[in-house]
Amino acid sequence: MSMSTGKLTKIVLIVLGSAGLYLLATHQHGQREAIRQAAVALTPDCAEKLGRYRLARSERYQSPYALQRTGASIAVRGYSEEDVRAIQRGCNIIDDTQGSLAKDPGRERWNATRFIRGTHSSCDHCHQGIGDKQDAGGNRMKGSLNLGASWVMADMYDRFTGLLLPFELRQMQCYINSSNGYKPNIADDVISDVTAYSRFLSAALELKIGNHYEEQGIDEIPASATPKQGDDYVRGEAIYKKKCANCHGPQAFGLETNGRLVAPALAGPNAWNTQSRNYFYYVSTILPGFICRNMPLGQENTLSNQECRDIAFYISNLPRPAGDRNGPMVALQQQILMTVLPPLMRLTKPAGGSEEPAEPVLERDQSRP
Amino acid sequence: MNPPVSPDSDARIERKQEARASATRIKTLAMVGLIAGFVLWAHLGSGIQAFRSEVSSEPGWENFRADYRINHFGEDGQFVRAVQNGYNLVYYTHKYASRFTRKTAGDRPNSCAACHTAEDLAYGFVNSDRLDPKLGRRVSFEDRVRRCYAGPMDGFVPTIYDPVVRDIRLFARAVAHHLQLGEGALRRGD
Repeated sequence: MSMSTGKLTKIVLIVLGSAGLYLLATHQHGQREAIRQAAVALTPDCAEKLGRYRLARSERYQSPYALQRTGASIAVRGYSEEDVRAIQRGCNIIDDTQGSLAKDPGRERWNATRFIRGTHSSCDHCHQGIGDKQDAGGNRMKGSLNLGASWVMADMYDRFTGLLLPFELRQMQCYINSSNGYKPNIADDVISDVTAYSRFLSAALELKIGNHYEEQGIDEIPASATPKQGDDYVRGEAIYKKKCANCHGPQAFGLETNGRLVAPALAGPNAWNTQSRNYFYYVSTILPGFICRNMPLGQENTLSNQECRDIAFYISNLPRPAGDRNGPMVALQQQILMTVLPPLMRLTKPAGGSEEPAEPVLERDQSRP
Repeated sequence: MNPPVSPDSDARIERKQEARASATRIKTLAMVGLIAGFVLWAHLGSGIQAFRSEVSSEPGWENFRADYRINHFGEDGQFVRAVQNGYNLVYYTHKYASRFTRKTAGDRPNSCAACHTAEDLAYGFVNSDRLDPKLGRRVSFEDRVRRCYAGPMDGFVPTIYDPVVRDIRLFARAVAHHLQLGEGALRRGD
């Protein structure tokens, strides 16, 4: 009797547990659906950009950007309300991944912070101009990681992964390495909304599938594009302190004021990891290219190729999290360095001494714009 | 006391041992030959795609390649091979996606091409990721392909990562590039 009661209790518990999980999943699913149907509160920059590109529900869409620049534009398929909301949410995720401008970051950004370690990372730090950086004249800028241009060139062979890399998998890599975080599911809204926004950008800029545009990716800087003085982190440190430390901090750990992020970390626990393509020891051409074309903000293209390589080399010598494939020993080493080095560096700072190093003597290379 | 061993029984034991050693050698050789034969058959004679990095050239591929200028992406390469596999999947679906369709060579229709032209797929690709009013949700190109396998092709749903889905997308992308389509491009008359 007692044995059969025990068995029955077990069965009831299993059924109740399964039913509970099912109800929880249904509830979560319903919540996500409600978010999809809810109006989107745009960040100020997204409101400006999407307003300028006249994103609205309509049968047809014509790019005001193309019309203004070429005097003609092609009518393409318009967007439904659902499509518009997906694009708006995608724009918000790029502009404010951590949700610092959102009333309810978890709901409004699909809880993107689930996939990020640290509090600094935002897509917009690399994909500036919300993935569509333009100069004052409205010209798209070379090597500015334009998301629309990336979309039209997606699915090509990627030399780093050895894959025909879809746009969605590329986004996953950003979360894993550039944000030192975790891989979202390919079907997660956090991925599909960014794809929707990137596709809209390619429509707004009238980009064609499979064409390469200058603004796509990074304008990489190999050593052969310098006078070949050799990359030098001592020189890099001097230039960093002069040009970058004001915003990114003396140890490149980023700068926060009153709880708001002013400039993201380039090293330390909030920075990209050693498996990221931004890491100089992994790929030595990408971070210099990013620095030259996008930094310092407002003074882009003012650093020489050698200066950019030196800064990148210096930054990459600072401690940062290890990538997943680096193994536990490297992870431990980086963790120790991240913990021990900052106080040590503060201790060894000369009392009353100037932090301003002398300007490095560097032969100007011909590639300087 | 042990019974005396006759020279005859010694010789018998030796013969048995030799026969056993010889049988083992033959078995080993047979196994090695079998494995080598299987490997050679798999790579050279089976025609099974999983064993070869090249893609089989089906009738019409060379014309397609020329018509849609696939050489823009290189004479050969990962992308071109994927497009070629996409071509095979679109025009010979029953043969190349046999895991995901119950259609056979004798059935009509038995391929994607029976309903869609290459250009249909390219336009479908640039107009994907939009709301489908019938389904009430946004549907990606990959989802449409998977629905085709399950529905009209009377088969099963592949995962989103499967080459039978991916290579049709790449095929559509290559055609869209040739037609110089942008996002949301409409056909004349649409």
